[in-house]
Amino acid sequence: MVGTTGLDLIEVTLLSLYVSGMATILGSAIGIPLGALIGLKEFGGKGAVKTVTYTLYGFPPVLSGLFVYYLFSRAGPFGSLGVLFTPTAMIIAETFLVIPLVTGITITSVVEVDKNIKDTVRAMGASSRQSTLTIMREAWVGLVMACMIGFGRVIAEVGAAYLVGGNIDGKTKVLTTAIMLETRMGHFEWAMALGAVLLFVALAVFFFLRLLQEKELL
Amino acid sequence: MMNLGRKTVAVIVCAVVLIVGTMAYVFLRKDTPVLRLATTTSTYDSGLLDYILPEFENLFECEVDVIAVGSGQAMEMGKRGDVDILLVHSPSAELAFMDGGYGESRTSVMYNNYVLVGPASDPAGIDASANATDAFQRIHNNGTAGLVQFVSRGDNSGTHNKELSIWKSLDLNVSYFDDNWYLSAGQGMGAVLDMCEELDAYTLSDDATYYQRASENLVPNLAITYNLEKTDATLRNQYSVIPVNSTMWPHVDHTLASAFKDWIVSEGGQDLIASYERFGQQLFYPNAPGYVPSTASLGALPDSLVDSARSVPKGLAAIALTTSPGIRCARW
Repeated sequence: MVGTTGLDLIEVTLLSLYVSGMATILGSAIGIPLGALIGLKEFGGKGAVKTVTYTLYGFPPVLSGLFVYYLFSRAGPFGSLGVLFTPTAMIIAETFLVIPLVTGITITSVVEVDKNIKDTVRAMGASSRQSTLTIMREAWVGLVMACMIGFGRVIAEVGAAYLVGGNIDGKTKVLTTAIMLETRMGHFEWAMALGAVLLFVALAVFFFLRLLQEKELL
Repeated sequence: MMNLGRKTVAVIVCAVVLIVGTMAYVFLRKDTPVLRLATTTSTYDSGLLDYILPEFENLFECEVDVIAVGSGQAMEMGKRGDVDILLVHSPSAELAFMDGGYGESRTSVMYNNYVLVGPASDPAGIDASANATDAFQRIHNNGTAGLVQFVSRGDNSGTHNKELSIWKSLDLNVSYFDDNWYLSAGQGMGAVLDMCEELDAYTLSDDATYYQRASENLVPNLAITYNLEKTDATLRNQYSVIPVNSTMWPHVDHTLASAFKDWIVSEGGQDLIASYERFGQQLFYPNAPGYVPSTASLGALPDSLVDSARSVPKGLAAIALTTSPGIRCARW
């Protein structure tokens, strides 16, 4: 099997974890409150907002990448920050991919819980804030699931990572862009081996999260 | 409530681990100046850059970040000021780039050859063609007769533009080609070669990518059907270096970009390019203005002499560069 010159597998794997981990945390930090708001609050056009959210599940990663490229290109509005071709740019692009997923799944989870316990909670005389907290706690498993799905999407994503990261050796090369590179060079076996590493990493992450869940730590 | 407390703690621990990781990543990085080089996939995938860049990085105490994309994308990055310097091969697009004022200068660096690759049995009889345009005419004739297929890059790359210019020189318009024989793939060179291998089709390829595929036995059905040892200048693939306009984009590292340009066209840089061999042959032929190939790259000497001549360039390179260091990049 012929591999690429000087591929530092550990570095590439850690960067993959870091970029997708940060994107998941940021995306969830925005998506969960947003989803709770949409799910629990009554407002006009709620159905339309939900439909748009679900539509964005299909947001093409490369489009998110292009969008972030335009924002952070030197010719773009935030060009002076010098963020392009850094892991930060990749995190931003992937955060946009996490937000709709987490928002949508949060909406579904809280609406489901709300239906079941709303009356009970109200009957016990809980304030609106208290009932929201209770609902969020009951919906916890759904919220964790939302984060996991978000993580699954971004760790496997390549279009945005390639575009705004640039696949620079030792800086922005992650597992998926390394797979692209090996494929481009015709090293299909090596590319598949890297794919196996990626799946193994995802397995490890999800196993760890399941463990936490079973111990009721998460 | 107790349960939520534990969960919160777990979430906080996870977040802290990630944030500490970020801090470590940000602060433990070396603070060396960085040159951003946008280039085509062929220079990177062929291993040339991995071979020559360490020398530049050592001399100028900097790092070169290579972003290997298609020529079109590389030039777009230059236009938008996202990179410091370009190493590309798409002459007509380069001229447009210079006309737009996006580049500071454009200097020839090296060339490699395009080759016409096709099924080893050569059903279109390309081997007998007089020159490259004749070979393309044969492919067109056999293609319209339904005997052979041709896969075009179709991605606005330097190679694609070269292919279009040859069709154009034959007064043929590709938009009228029947898609039964003329397939526009919209993919990279390697992927197109893989397609030709599967389809028994012809394509125009840069030789480095073909040799890489061939040496790893990935395209056993294919062969170079038009042999360019005959050095048909039509099929030269010329690479140029273009520092991005630092007046237009003040953050562009003018010092380091100029240093790189001066270095790669210097005798030392040129000899280094000539000395790169892979798949059993020299892949890139330096031709910066004023550069005279050393004996090593001519290969006309007896082996023993060639060997000793080949060991010279590195020494020469070091001397040439240390005696005229020009600008050393400042640390900031």
